[in-house]
Amino acid sequence: MQPAAPPQARAPRWARRFVAAYLAVFVLCGLAGFEAWPLTGWRLFADARQARQPGWQAVTVDRAGRETPVPFRELPAGHQGFVQVLRGFPELAADRQAAVCQAWAEAVRARGGEVAAVRLYQTETDVSHRVGRRGAPPTRVLRYTCHDGKVDAPS
Amino acid sequence: MRRAEAWLFAPGDPRRLAVLRIGLCGLLAVRLATGPYAELASQPAALFRPISFLRVLERMPPRGLVVAVQALAVAAAVLAAAGLWARVTLPLAWAAALPLVAMTSSLGKVVHNDVLLLLCLVPLLPAPTSAVWAVRPGGRKAPPRTPPSPGVAFGWPVHTAMVVVAGAYFFSGLAKLLHAGPAWVTSGNLRWVLYASSDQQPAPNPYALFVADRPLLAHLLAAATLAVELGFPLVLWRPRLAWLFLPAAVALHAGIGLAMRLDYSVMAATAVLVMVDWPAVADRLQPAADTTQPTRKEPSR
Repeated sequence: MQPAAPPQARAPRWARRFVAAYLAVFVLCGLAGFEAWPLTGWRLFADARQARQPGWQAVTVDRAGRETPVPFRELPAGHQGFVQVLRGFPELAADRQAAVCQAWAEAVRARGGEVAAVRLYQTETDVSHRVGRRGAPPTRVLRYTCHDGKVDAPS
Repeated sequence: MRRAEAWLFAPGDPRRLAVLRIGLCGLLAVRLATGPYAELASQPAALFRPISFLRVLERMPPRGLVVAVQALAVAAAVLAAAGLWARVTLPLAWAAALPLVAMTSSLGKVVHNDVLLLLCLVPLLPAPTSAVWAVRPGGRKAPPRTPPSPGVAFGWPVHTAMVVVAGAYFFSGLAKLLHAGPAWVTSGNLRWVLYASSDQQPAPNPYALFVADRPLLAHLLAAATLAVELGFPLVLWRPRLAWLFLPAAVALHAGIGLAMRLDYSVMAATAVLVMVDWPAVADRLQPAADTTQPTRKEPSR
């Protein structure tokens, strides 16, 4: 398709500049940890985890008051970022918090679940504490209750 | 620095560049054809966590647009893999793939699985990738002719992609050192990661628990992971080391897949496609079978 370059020719100036610029930004992002997607800082499992791990748990509450964990992994692909959404929940404005709860409630209802409210618990799990082949249940504190388009945050 | 530059712009085998075009574009086509982009388009706006250029949007792009871009991207990637109008179809496939792949990273976390593929395709965008092993317009195979000799135009795209692969692993290791330090190996880090991952899976994961239950094994695997990642660029200096580092990196991805159910298959496939000199392997396997292609090893530095 394109004629081959003469075997001994030098790479053209545009190619040298292109490669230099591309590798420069690639290396810069890697060294500095910048995220300029698709360029990335390559932070893959970069943090050292501790045995005691903070987290969040979202549950739906039916009219009888029964709690059921939100089955995030069975929800559509757009809901799979729940870990990050939960982690950033406290920083969201109240209307955004209500919209997030609403989105989860509607996804659960679409699967036939009954949702009167959504509760969000802050958890702490000691993964070194094993019960058989599973970790011991986390300790948890209720942080938010979403119902009727409002979000309550018990003090 | 001069040696590195000389290697980067040294003449290369047009067949190796063609293998990259076929392999990486084929991988991109499969990835784009099977990705959850149409499903992501129906994500509620409240859950949208846009990355990079998608920040200009309030929510995921509309489904109709996403399906159209996906069809365009797959078609362009297939044509590029075949070498048809690759000067146009390859950049078109890459540009159309970019917003689709960005959607998968707009859930709150960067998905690195596809990033290496996209980054390795960048040096191919302006390169003469279809000088050999390309279908001509009209479905004809390339007319018989003397295949191009190794040339500078075929070297730098391959070498740049190799630097990107080596850099990806090196920077992954460096990030661990910078953010966690030696504790990434010496603490219980890997055990806690694996216990937590197993606990989040529907059933206890036997592979994760096998390692996590054995502190010494966990430390050894953590040290090996760091060694493989930080040492990967040695492959650029001593290509034979690819026989050590490449299987180790693939094993690392496979181990993560088994123990944590995280998919890094595209990243592993990209690394294998880029780092192996496939024409040299083929020549070595069939030294006398192919009389139309003279045996040509890519010049070393």
